[in-house]
Amino acid sequence: MLDLSVAIRKPAGMPAATLSGLHLAEAEFALGGRAILRGLTLSLTEARIGILGQNGSGKTTLLRLLAGLIAPTSGTVRVDGLDPATDRRALLPRLGILFQNPDHQILFPVVEEELAFGLRQMGLPAVETAARVARLLAAEGRTHWARAPVATLSQGQRHYLCLLAVLLMEPATILLDEPFAGLDLPTCQRLARRLEHLPQRLITITHDPAALARADRVLWLEAGQIRMDGPPDSVLPAFTAEMARIGERDADADLPG
Amino acid sequence: MERNLTHIALFAALIAVLGLVPKIDLAAGVPITAQSLGVMLCGTVLGARRGALAVLLFLALVAAGLPLLSGGRGGLGLFAGPSAGFLVGFPIAAFVAGWVVERTTLTPAIAAGAGAVIGGIGVLYLFGITGMSIALGKSWTEASYLALAFLPGDIVKAVLAGLITQAIARMRPGALMSRA
Amino acid sequence: MLTLTSPVETPFHLVPAGAKMASLCAITAGLIAVSSPVLLALILLGTVGLMAAGGRVFLLQGLRLLRPLWPFVLIVGVWHLWTAELGEGAVILLRLVIVVMLANLVTMTTRLSEMIGVIERLTAPLGRIGLSPRLLALAVALVIRFIPVLAERVGQIRDAIRARSPRSPGWRLVVPATLAALDDADHAAEALRARGGLG
Repeated sequence: MLDLSVAIRKPAGMPAATLSGLHLAEAEFALGGRAILRGLTLSLTEARIGILGQNGSGKTTLLRLLAGLIAPTSGTVRVDGLDPATDRRALLPRLGILFQNPDHQILFPVVEEELAFGLRQMGLPAVETAARVARLLAAEGRTHWARAPVATLSQGQRHYLCLLAVLLMEPATILLDEPFAGLDLPTCQRLARRLEHLPQRLITITHDPAALARADRVLWLEAGQIRMDGPPDSVLPAFTAEMARIGERDADADLPG
Repeated sequence: MERNLTHIALFAALIAVLGLVPKIDLAAGVPITAQSLGVMLCGTVLGARRGALAVLLFLALVAAGLPLLSGGRGGLGLFAGPSAGFLVGFPIAAFVAGWVVERTTLTPAIAAGAGAVIGGIGVLYLFGITGMSIALGKSWTEASYLALAFLPGDIVKAVLAGLITQAIARMRPGALMSRA
Repeated sequence: MLTLTSPVETPFHLVPAGAKMASLCAITAGLIAVSSPVLLALILLGTVGLMAAGGRVFLLQGLRLLRPLWPFVLIVGVWHLWTAELGEGAVILLRLVIVVMLANLVTMTTRLSEMIGVIERLTAPLGRIGLSPRLLALAVALVIRFIPVLAERVGQIRDAIRARSPRSPGWRLVVPATLAALDDADHAAEALRARGGLG
């Protein structure tokens, strides 16, 4: 099978460093002949962006495309002028990712090791890294977490640890995959409060409109394409109405593909 | 590559976790450990090199003082005692088992079963019996009588390794790195 | 992660790991030359004395670590009683117990991180074929991180099986456990790539 990403991906004709934000140009992604994302051209520069869609709409694929975990089968993806699929290291201080399940994200058995990893990956010496980790934990009132085994943290605490690990890198943009899924209400509220005050650009992928009430821009993704793109006041009610309409139908019997 | 590293590490962890499962009692009353089954699977699922590295990583941690061997055993003492031969033989057995799966085109069940017999019995017993004969001051033949007690269990283990590898191949088609 | 390193502090804890391992190898080699049961018995007493110097708790832990040996001691003991070669039997068993005890002494007085350090130094030459110490350190961290995760999953699987069958799960755990390991390996690889990869 032809590797179209090599043949069709255009060199960055746009000037590299000046173009901040996330830009897709006719980005497509297909798997096994099935198109999951079609011809997306987007410029994501707002401070709070939401990507809303049902399960199966392609929103997780879009997140992975933006994160550079997969490369588009055609078209381009650029984050701050860089290609995330090939320049992962260069993007470490610019783009952070918070996955849905902390157990799929945490790699180290002890809190301070987990926090230190990203900075060490960027080449920061061990002493300076340890100092920054200690400073962050102190600022969060969690100095006692430093030597704690990750296995002793609760689900919500592990989620928080992942967020701290991302924040330590001081990225300009953070991608969040269903950040509130599976969290109890108090944890949701705490997390929402924390996120609200972050200086970074946040791009939240979710199926729950309630999470995006305070966004600057909401994109409704359906079957791999943008169905609606605008302020939450217009997109969220339309989405909720459509979901209600679908929910009225008795059966969800169609198989994908 | 990241996938190699994480698979090696996760299977080393798997061997450790299978050590926590109580001995599996078979019809003849001969127990087998899920852990030794795990060692075989490292080879048959991950392939020769990755499988051997997974087992070596596991052994390094046992030697370093983690009580990961079934029954909560660990430490350097195990490598100085009569079972040392078996411990040394484990990664090689996994390698051989993986090698058989990689090099043949038989169905995974047969390939893995054969690999487990050649590696998990043939090669492993070679090292294990040698180790026992040195530690216990017995001739090789004398030491082999002691190992015979485990033979029925290990034959069943080889069959299970084949069936389990086949099941994995069916449930996660791309996952069998030994047949990638 | 609970290790076999003893929390009781002894002078041995301060000796560098490499020196202890080297001494262990030297003593083991030396013991092969000793063939007098009386001398070996004295050396054994001396070894027990070393352990006792660490206190009662320390000594008890050391003795507990000898437990895997008892079937072999029994077999060899009975064997040599049968063949009436008691002297030879004593030499074999005494050497065995001394070596295992000394090896356990090293384990009990050396921290996990120190042992990993020794292993890293020993495998440093392999760096040329792509197995660098940094990869080893990362691999060790991953194993220790994921043992509790997999253990919890196996517990859930066991509960799920027990809910449907009165028999003990046994080998039926192995397939789901292996699948869990494969899935976690995929997720961890992705998380690793998302954080810059191995470079």
